[in-house]
Amino acid sequence: MPDVDVLVVGAGPAGAVAAWHAKQAARELDVVLLERDRAVGSPVRCAEGVGDAGLREFANPDGADWVSRRITDVIFQAPDDTEVVLGDCGLGWILDRTRFDAHLAAEAAASGAQVLVGAEATGMSRNGDGRWHVRVKERGRDEIYRARIVIGADGVETMVGRWAGLDTRVPARDMESCAQYVLQGIDFNPDAIYLQFSNAIAPGGYAWIFPKAVGVANVGLGLVALKTNGRNAREHLDAWIARRFPNGARTGYTVGGVIVHTTIKKTYADGVMIAGDAAHMINPLSGGGIVNAMKAGRLAGRGAAAAICAGDTSERRLSTYHDAWMQLLGEDHLKYYRIKQALENVDDASFNKLARTVNKIPQEKRTIGRVFANALIRHPQLIPVAARFFV
Amino acid sequence: MRRVTPDTIAVVDLAVCDRCGLCLPLCPPEAIHLELNVLTVDDAACTGCEKCVGPCPVGALSMVPYA
Repeated sequence: MPDVDVLVVGAGPAGAVAAWHAKQAARELDVVLLERDRAVGSPVRCAEGVGDAGLREFANPDGADWVSRRITDVIFQAPDDTEVVLGDCGLGWILDRTRFDAHLAAEAAASGAQVLVGAEATGMSRNGDGRWHVRVKERGRDEIYRARIVIGADGVETMVGRWAGLDTRVPARDMESCAQYVLQGIDFNPDAIYLQFSNAIAPGGYAWIFPKAVGVANVGLGLVALKTNGRNAREHLDAWIARRFPNGARTGYTVGGVIVHTTIKKTYADGVMIAGDAAHMINPLSGGGIVNAMKAGRLAGRGAAAAICAGDTSERRLSTYHDAWMQLLGEDHLKYYRIKQALENVDDASFNKLARTVNKIPQEKRTIGRVFANALIRHPQLIPVAARFFV
Repeated sequence: MRRVTPDTIAVVDLAVCDRCGLCLPLCPPEAIHLELNVLTVDDAACTGCEKCVGPCPVGALSMVPYA
């Protein structure tokens, strides 16, 4: 029965950074990082886009082999295909998540954490010894790990949260059902990400083109799970691609859920912390979660190490992790979520109108602030629409 | 545990399911499980609410009469 200080379940960005920073904070601790799948970073369930500043807190993208593409522009597309080019949205990157996740796991390993692939946690119970006993299936064998702290970084379906008695459920109105192809041989600006808003294409969400190389992109969409209207996400995507890229070669596909809600009410329990998608730490307006997950993983890893060193892994002690997250980003997500709710019923005609208004501003002067101000002065009724585009 | 026996319950077609896990947090009684790459619906816990069916991105979940 292996005895560990910190057991991290899930080697995505949240888990890998948690293991890395727990070990970095206290070298003497035994930290184990479990990955259910055979390879860290696979299968990819992600559009792979990330902002420059947040990424650089954890890894340097310059010349890195885990980067697919550097992004300088954002192109919004209205439902009628009117394009609005914005050049000042800040630098971004399209990652190669398979390599990126492996890079983060390697950082965890380099700091001294033990990384196990093909190792799935299948249940856990709190025992009288004040430890969690986590059942781990590896190579067909069950092993019980005794852990002082379990960090659940096990994604949208989090089982660790459930096992710890936390409520990780989400209503369908706050779940985006997503599908994505890797399309090859298509024509688009490889330095820009494209976001198309339309209730016909992706009700309540948006469709995207995220370049991986010249002529190659992640092309996908997410729609509010409550608004599928008898067609699933993949069928919505097939319809959009048939119109936009009928000749693109589909060389891969992925599907998945993005929780566009706010952080779960309680991300901790005695000896348990939940981080990343598992704790619904996703920007509910953009659906972005990679940097959030890494920031939460850092807080959780450091918090776990400090708690163990202080000899107190109680729920009360670990609640400071929750407070730190809420202060860092969780409170912002509450604001974004309220905006998202206010925007739910904006129709396609309003999006089209806004796009045409904004395009009257010369592109070099088309800063987000100016677009915003202009839209509001001319069309006050578009304030909520503008917020959706530019917040 | 549920109070009323439902007329229909959810079933998953594992040939279609992509194991993405989207349906797990949508299930009010937490009747859906994902373990060792297999998604299962717990017949005894499913309330037949259908909240998992439409959101599945590949249409792997459907309702069948509960016998």
